Amino acid sequence: MNPHLELEQLLALREPGAEPGDAALRDHLASCAECRAEAERLDQLQARLRALPVLRPTRDRWPAVRARLAADRRRVWWRRAGLASAGMAAALAGLILGNSFRSATPPDAAGVTGAAAEIARAKESSQALEQLLQQYDPDSRIIDGRTDRIAQELENRIAAVDRELQQTAAADEAERNAAALRLWRERVGLLDALVDVHVTRASNVGL
Amino acid sequence: MTRTLLMDSLLPADADAVLAGARTGDPASLEALYRAFEVPVYHLARRLCRTAEDAEDVMQETFFEVCRSIRQYRGDGSLWGWVRSIAASKALMRLRRNRYRETDELHDDFVAARREAPHLRMDLEAALERLPETSRAVVWLHDVEGYTHEEIASMMGRTTSFSKSQLARAHRRLRCWLNE
Repeated sequence: MNPHLELEQLLALREPGAEPGDAALRDHLASCAECRAEAERLDQLQARLRALPVLRPTRDRWPAVRARLAADRRRVWWRRAGLASAGMAAALAGLILGNSFRSATPPDAAGVTGAAAEIARAKESSQALEQLLQQYDPDSRIIDGRTDRIAQELENRIAAVDRELQQTAAADEAERNAAALRLWRERVGLLDALVDVHVTRASNVGL
Repeated sequence: MTRTLLMDSLLPADADAVLAGARTGDPASLEALYRAFEVPVYHLARRLCRTAEDAEDVMQETFFEVCRSIRQYRGDGSLWGWVRSIAASKALMRLRRNRYRETDELHDDFVAARREAPHLRMDLEAALERLPETSRAVVWLHDVEGYTHEEIASMMGRTTSFSKSQLARAHRRLRCWLNE
């Protein structure tokens, strides 16, 4: 029988908390110089492991992390924007149809119809630009930090316009049409700028 | 514990503002988080992974997860403890995915060669590198990072006994290779 402690037993004695049989092992350790020396070697090895030099990365990975975060954020944004856009278009179509059935000869029928047509055109432009961007697939492209910041700012502003559009439902008809037309036009302008940021810049640098 | 708290001191003086900014997705705050923990995360990943490339990939994965999930950090424990657990988990995932060849024959050959040629005595760095991946991960997580066998077993999806036996195996080999 080996009179000395096994490595596993020495390691177990270093663990917090007492296990059954620990007392006997500790008694042996206290009385055995050879096992104490072995335990000391274990402590020294642990200390040496902790003292190993700190290893540092040779490359800065932040740009890659940032680009991936931006792509992730865009994916979420497009998903939300797509749903919001479809929802808004449906709501607006409902409102316009509802108006046309509500009154045969409204006092400003020509104005309302004109606004509805303008809104429909702006909406079509907005959808065409969104399709263009989706086809271009900005997520799969490499963009520099400055372009990314501009794109992010434009996406945030489009999201703000979408929120305003949802709130126009509470206004009366004339106000609603005027606000919707203004906001849809603004949305088209922002999307146009976003396409410019992605597509035009990419063309310029030959991506 | 001390080590963990020391790591949190790597954050800028306005740590609360950085954390609050990071939770809103502010790019400057997220970058400040990255800069604060870049080196310790890489160091941990490199000690667990076989290659520098793997360690850098683990670092990237870790910070992507940290930035995306920072809202989930409630401040219950230290921030470094939270970041470190993500890094360790990503590194162990990488080890499982790569499944490097860990043949005992390879290591036993090496040990036999060392016995025959004492001048091949290794330094600790080389010996650690030479350990099979699982043993190296266990010895590093336990002896350096201070994880318990229960925590290591949980992270690795193995039993506590497995963690304990891997630690003993690693120590036995290190001692042999270091000629101690």
